[in-house]
Amino acid sequence: MNRNLFLMEIKRNTLSLTVWMIAITVLVSVTMAVYPVFLENQSKILGMMSLIPDELLQFKGISDFSDFLSVLGFYSVNNIIYMMVLGSIYAIVLSSGILLKEEYNKTAEYLLTRPLTRSEIFLSKLAVLFINVFLLNFVTALAGFICLELVRNTPFSTGAFLILSLYTLLLNILFGAVGLFMSTLVRRARPITTLSIGLVLILYFIFTLSKITEGISRIGYLSPFRYVKTNATSPDYSLDFWHLLYFIGISLLLIGLSYRLYIRKDIYT
Amino acid sequence: MILKSANGELITTEYVLPPDNRAAVSSKRSSMETPVIDITDLSKYYGKTRGIEHVNLEIGEGEIFGFIGPNGAGKSTTIRILMNLIFQTGGTARIMGMDVIKETKKIKKISGYIPSDAGLYSSMDALEFFRYCIRFYQVKNGDQRINELAQMFDVDLTRKVSDLSMGNRKKVSIIQSLLHNPKLLILDEPTTGLDPLMQSNFFELLRSENRKGMTIFFSSHILGEVQKLCKRVAIIKEGRIIQVEDIETLRKKQLKKVFIEFNGRVKKEDLIIPGIEGEIGGSDNIQSFIYSGDINMLVGFLSRYTIINLMIEEPSLEEIFMHYYK
Repeated sequence: MNRNLFLMEIKRNTLSLTVWMIAITVLVSVTMAVYPVFLENQSKILGMMSLIPDELLQFKGISDFSDFLSVLGFYSVNNIIYMMVLGSIYAIVLSSGILLKEEYNKTAEYLLTRPLTRSEIFLSKLAVLFINVFLLNFVTALAGFICLELVRNTPFSTGAFLILSLYTLLLNILFGAVGLFMSTLVRRARPITTLSIGLVLILYFIFTLSKITEGISRIGYLSPFRYVKTNATSPDYSLDFWHLLYFIGISLLLIGLSYRLYIRKDIYT
Repeated sequence: MILKSANGELITTEYVLPPDNRAAVSSKRSSMETPVIDITDLSKYYGKTRGIEHVNLEIGEGEIFGFIGPNGAGKSTTIRILMNLIFQTGGTARIMGMDVIKETKKIKKISGYIPSDAGLYSSMDALEFFRYCIRFYQVKNGDQRINELAQMFDVDLTRKVSDLSMGNRKKVSIIQSLLHNPKLLILDEPTTGLDPLMQSNFFELLRSENRKGMTIFFSSHILGEVQKLCKRVAIIKEGRIIQVEDIETLRKKQLKKVFIEFNGRVKKEDLIIPGIEGEIGGSDNIQSFIYSGDINMLVGFLSRYTIINLMIEEPSLEEIFMHYYK
C-alpha cells in the first residue's frame, strides 16, 4: 500500500462520503421521528394497513404487524431501503469508479507512471474503499442507534441491532467487491455508474419480487439481499454462519479476481 | 553499423533491411554498455489488431532519440509498454537492464514520462498536483524544485488545473515529468499545445538536461521537432520499425528528388530505371520520384525521350521520411 496515494484517495472521496452520510442520516432520523406519531395512532394505522394486501406488505418487508410496532421492527423495516439499498449503491458507485476513474479521467497516465506497483495501487484503493464503506455504516448505524434510543418506548435488543448493522455492512462490502470486479472487466475507459446502480436496484427488485411470488421464490437466492436477515425482533435472531460465509466468501473471491485482473490489465485512457 | 539480430546477437554490417523487414537496429555504441532502453522482438496485438510487431530498438545512455511515425504507427503502443501501462503480447523490453514489467517500480523512480494526452486531477491546483507527484519520490527541497520549474515554464501554481488552457496543461505535464530529476525522459508527442516560444524553451531545457546526462526518448509525428532535437531516429510504420538512422546520415544518403516534364505523355510503367525508390508520382507528362542510383544512368535513360524540363534536387528530410512511410 502507498501512503501518498491512500491519503490522496481519502481526501478525494471525503466530500462524497460526507454527503452520503448526511443524506442517509437525515433519512433515518426523519423516518424514526415518525415512530412516536405512528405509535400514538397505531389503531388507525393498523386499520389502514389491514386493507393492504399481504403481498404488498411482504414486498415492504412486513410479515407481522406486531414486529412493525416495536421500535427495532419499525427501524429494520423502514431503514432497510436507506441503510442497505442506499449504502450498497454508495459502495458500488465508489468501488466501480475508484480504479476506473483514473482511466476515464485520463489520470492513469500519471498515476501508473509513478514508482508504484499495480499491487500497491490496488491495495491503496481497496483500503480507501473499505474505510469509506465502514465509516458510512458506522455513522449511519450510530445515528440509527441514537434515534432508536430517543424514540423507543420499550427496550430493544442492542445485540440484534448490532447484528442487523453487521449484515448491512457485509452487504455493502459485497456490493463494493462487485463494483470493483466489474470495473476491472471494463476494457475501454468509461464510467459504469449507471450500470452499477441499476444492478443494485435490479437485485433488490428480484429479492422483493421473489418474496411475494411463490413461483419465483428461488430466483431470490440470486440476490445478496436474500441473505440478510431483517427480522431483528425475532427471539432467535442471530448471525447465520452460512450467510456470513456467503458474504465474506463472495467478497473475497471477487476482490481476489479483481486483483488478478487489475495487475495484468491494459490501461487505456 | 551494428545491427541487432532477431535473437539479440549483435552483428556489424553495412546497412541492410532484413528480408522479412523485421527491425534492423543500429547502434553507434561499440562498447555496448547496458542500453538505457533495450527492446527485443516486441509485439503487441489488440485482439487480432496489430499494435506493433517485432520491434527491436536500443537506445544508449545520454542519447536524444527520436521516434517518428504517422498516427497509428505504433509509437504510443511502444511507449505505453515501456511505461507498463499495457502489456506486450511478445518480446521483451528493458530499461537500464530492468524488465519493464517485473521491475516497473524501480524503473519509474528513475524515469519521467510526458503523455501525449492526459487528464489532470481537476480538483487540485497546480501546486497541489506537483506536491502530490513529488511525494512519490524522495526529493529533497521539493518545493524549491517545483518553484524553479514553474518559473521556467511560467505556470501559475495557484490556478486549478481544470481552469488551465491546453498549453498550460501541457506545461504542467512537462513539469511533473521533471520534478524528480529523472535519468530517462520518455516523451509522447510532448509539444502539442505549446506555443513556439515555449517549445523553444522546452527544447533548450531538454538539451541542457541531456548535457547533464539525461537520456531522452522523444516520440513525434512532426519531423521538424525531431530534427531540431534528436541525433538518432527510428522510423516506425504500420507497427514495424523500418529504419533506425542518424539524422545526418539520412540527410547524406544519395537520395535525389527528380522532376521530369516530358514532351508528351509517358507512362509510369515505361520508366523502368534501376534506382527509383518507391512509387512514381505525377500524371500525364510530368513525373516525379526519389532516385538513389547513378545520375549518369538516369540521364542516359531519359535521353530517349524529348524532355521539356528536368530538375534534380536534394530532398528535404521530410521527403526522405515520407519516402519511408510510403
